Amino acid sequence: MGTLTRATKNLSRRKTRALIVIIALSLALTLVIILPPSINAGKATTQTIINDLNNNANFIKSTVSAAATEIDCSLPIQLNLPPPNATGTFHGTAIQPLMNESYYANLTSIPDVNNVVPILEQTEYKDNYPVYLYGIPLDNASLLSSYPSLLPANITEGRNLQAGDNNDIILEEHLAQKFDVSVGRNFNILGKNFTVVGIEGQEALNATAHATLSLADLQALTNTAGQETTFKVFVDNVDNVETVSARITSIYPTMQVSAGLSQENSAQEIQTSIDEQVQTAQNNLNQIQGNGEVEISIAVVADIAIILFIMLYSVRERTREIGTLKAMGASNATILGQLLLEGVILSVIAAVVAIAISVFVAPPLANLLLPHPIESGTAGSWGFSIGRNPGGNNLISVTITPETMLLGFGVAVLFGALGSLYPAWKAARTNPAEAMRYE
Amino acid sequence: MSDLVLEIENLTKTYKLGKREIQPLTNLNLEVQRREFTAIMGPSGSGKTTLLNVIGCIDKASSGKVLIDNVDIAKLPESKLYKIRRDKIGFIFQNFNLLPYLNARENVELAMELAGKFQSQRGERAKQLLATVGLSGREQHRPQRLSQGEQQRVAIARALANDPAIVLADEPTGNLDVANKQEIVKLLADLNQKQGTTIIMVTHDEQVAAQTNRMLYLSEGKISEDKLVQQVTPQQSKESSQE
Repeated sequence: MGTLTRATKNLSRRKTRALIVIIALSLALTLVIILPPSINAGKATTQTIINDLNNNANFIKSTVSAAATEIDCSLPIQLNLPPPNATGTFHGTAIQPLMNESYYANLTSIPDVNNVVPILEQTEYKDNYPVYLYGIPLDNASLLSSYPSLLPANITEGRNLQAGDNNDIILEEHLAQKFDVSVGRNFNILGKNFTVVGIEGQEALNATAHATLSLADLQALTNTAGQETTFKVFVDNVDNVETVSARITSIYPTMQVSAGLSQENSAQEIQTSIDEQVQTAQNNLNQIQGNGEVEISIAVVADIAIILFIMLYSVRERTREIGTLKAMGASNATILGQLLLEGVILSVIAAVVAIAISVFVAPPLANLLLPHPIESGTAGSWGFSIGRNPGGNNLISVTITPETMLLGFGVAVLFGALGSLYPAWKAARTNPAEAMRYE
Repeated sequence: MSDLVLEIENLTKTYKLGKREIQPLTNLNLEVQRREFTAIMGPSGSGKTTLLNVIGCIDKASSGKVLIDNVDIAKLPESKLYKIRRDKIGFIFQNFNLLPYLNARENVELAMELAGKFQSQRGERAKQLLATVGLSGREQHRPQRLSQGEQQRVAIARALANDPAIVLADEPTGNLDVANKQEIVKLLADLNQKQGTTIIMVTHDEQVAAQTNRMLYLSEGKISEDKLVQQVTPQQSKESSQE
């Protein structure tokens, strides 16, 4: 029979009390075991969200920066207004004037211009329904990769157009629905069939139903070879946009020149929005950390306090017994050791229970006690989905590893020793003569 | 030839009770021979238990000398006093003070365990001691399953476990009925006579005291009467020297 046996036998004297204390301790220890890995899991999820946001912000920024260096050049629309008919109704038409290759050559020669991209826009009728056709050059792969904004942005089905495509077309969702055409089917316009390779999401409810195809195909379809309606002039630097715009206007005074600087403002808005979302996620992360730390602190204090009070009570209750042990020749160290051991045994038994509880209740308890990592949604009209669960809550996923279990045992031993240190010290310092008189 | 196990010179014990200063022992002198069975008597508050506590190293003398086997315990620090309590003293209490979660054998063994004795030595010795006090077959019983007389026997066996120089008994029969009282006194007297155990016993009971070698009366912190009841017999000396 050693100190360990004595300590264990003493604890088993008051079984109900020991059981209640073990249950209370195990609940506190469960929190101590579960919360640190839960905080880490919550932080990792939130950090992923922040990284996603930052990555998307960088992508949007680079895309918008490219768009911000863009200047759209076109001639003013010509209105053909014949006299009103008998009923007094006008049946006029708006014509977008065409530009030939000389415009391309002149625009390309302007200093600080990196690229000039010809675009042809034509409105044709299919079954008396107006279809806005948008032709972009698909003969230059590097141009498409440098300026992705040339291509439709929001493909919801199929694929986007790519360099080398011919007789392929992308239909805007509304148009596809109107003519009941899906990816892989043919779309006939002006007597020519095009293969539908993708569907583009509707940009706005009142947007014109449009279709995008290669410039060469559209020129051939509309007999406008070598002619364009718009030139997209890409400047080497956003700072030179105004200078280049002025030069274009000086060469072609009637030309409508639309600089993409406005894009810069919307980029700023998007950046601000993403910054706010990052800040929200960061606050969320801090909240997870803060709440977790407060809850751990409460659990630690509760755990140590339970041991402290139960051991103090035990020492008070056993004053005569401690006096007897001292009268029999027990040293202060022996008394201290036995009481410390009793506290540690209580705590270690509670740790076993706590680990068993933790294995089963770690995920729900973590999600009950900690704020969930929140994702803020999408970057508005840019259509980028941010995170894995935009606009929703992500549950914290936590598992109790063997390392966590070992740590739980270590913590239990430490708390048991800390909690019983003062009562044990008090017991060791008991004056045996006074203890023997204690009733 | 004198064989003193205890020598007390000018022992004074003072302590404060609130603002009042109490002096239960005043310049007390006493010598106790080895193998002597001494009874200390006196009215309540005369200092009997205080004297026993000072001899048993569980209370400190305010002044004077207390020599046990020629070691002045009044000057020893706590770090050494516990060894005197463990090796030189055996306590028997009025309320038995057995550890309730240990059985009879374990209670006896505990005293030896504190003295650092090995399990092999402890088990056999505990069994022998329990047999000596008449508790053969009751080794595994916990205190609550023993009668009061039996509990006091276990306490006596525990007090003898480390073969102490002095057994201090504080009213060992105070909580016992007449039959048990006589049996316990007889047991103590037998231990004294047959094994030569030195016993100092505090009692209020004249009949119990009459079974000892010597009766001391304490009054106002001093020994007012020192009465020899019977000499330490040669048999006591012989048997104890054989051990």
